[in-house]
Amino acid sequence: MKSSYLRASAALACTLALSACGGSDGELLLGGAFTGVTKTGLVLTNGDQRFEVPASTAGNGTGTFYFNDLVGTDDDYEVKVAGIPDNVSGCEVVNGKGRAAFNITNVVVNCTFKTHALGGSVANLKGELVLVNGADRVAVAAGATSFAMAPVAEDAVYGIAILQQPANQTCTIASAGGTMGKNDIANVSVSCAP
Amino acid sequence: MKSFLIRPALALALAAGLAGCGGSDKAEFTVGGTVYTLLYPGLQLKTNGAVIDVAPPAKAGDTVTYAFPNKLEYGDEYNVQIERNPQHQSCQLTNPNYATNADTAGRLAEINVQYVCSINQFSIGGTITGLTADGLVLANGSTGGTVAPVKAAASYAFGLTVPYNQTYGVTVLTQPAGLNCSVSNPAGTMGDANVTNINVACVPNT
Repeated sequence: MKSSYLRASAALACTLALSACGGSDGELLLGGAFTGVTKTGLVLTNGDQRFEVPASTAGNGTGTFYFNDLVGTDDDYEVKVAGIPDNVSGCEVVNGKGRAAFNITNVVVNCTFKTHALGGSVANLKGELVLVNGADRVAVAAGATSFAMAPVAEDAVYGIAILQQPANQTCTIASAGGTMGKNDIANVSVSCAP
Repeated sequence: MKSFLIRPALALALAAGLAGCGGSDKAEFTVGGTVYTLLYPGLQLKTNGAVIDVAPPAKAGDTVTYAFPNKLEYGDEYNVQIERNPQHQSCQLTNPNYATNADTAGRLAEINVQYVCSINQFSIGGTITGLTADGLVLANGSTGGTVAPVKAAASYAFGLTVPYNQTYGVTVLTQPAGLNCSVSNPAGTMGDANVTNINVACVPNT
């Protein structure tokens, strides 16, 4: 009587334990690295396993991920993208498919940010003006009435500064900095005097 | 102790064997190698008393090969070192964990000591005056990162560094509550030293 009770409860505990970890009886990790993930929304699948990748804590959109479920030796795996963050145009999986023989740590998911134009107006420019948005450098010719910097990733910040003033003039910039939203920025306003 | 003795004994046996079948000519070995991503002149390498200049490739991105003029004999030890880094760059062994720069001539069929050079990077920052509130956020464009000096900070530096010859431009992304901060010397092109004159002055809003 006693022992059969024990056996039943042991079996129950065993079942519970298994289901708690997804029924997986594997022992190998499946994961790797990602780039271009600054917010939640990236969902990866391997068969019927689903994993929501948390946003990068590094601040630059890069990090590592591992599926919660382990895979078994000799199991086939194929990592696919089932959902993407709303600020990227798509995500590609590299080394996503194979047969598990050891911990799989070389899957790479690269997401590409959506980008939007960054520019604005120029008034009264009589010489060459050089603008920078950090590492992006754009020379604006005398007489120009508008300018365009390199496109900026959605949700990234921007800040336009003057690297070189035109000869005998001083230019100032209004609305020089901000955060790129879902639309192009065209309201950066450069005015030069005298 | 034992292995200590075995190795020279083996080398001796091998040398004797080589000499036996090689006749009068002694084997000679050239210490050489490859340098990746060298962009600027000035690199000097040295080993066994010789110093050579390694010039950058004619086409940026190509790899450079070098060879020391002095030949080594079998068993001579070599130890390639950087005598001087190139301008604006720092070079290191491609795999510092498995150093290939020091060995004994003849152990490898070809001596190929590989270096990779990277552009030097420097920090940007400056002084801050009048910062009597929290909330200031400075940005260096879209890829240079941000920095958020707290109330009463007297100086700042960006966490991300800027490579030689790349431009930087610091702007105020967010003004602190009740203050208007402006940046002097906000933009420049990185030289060969940290930039510390991107000064921020904050005054109360009127």
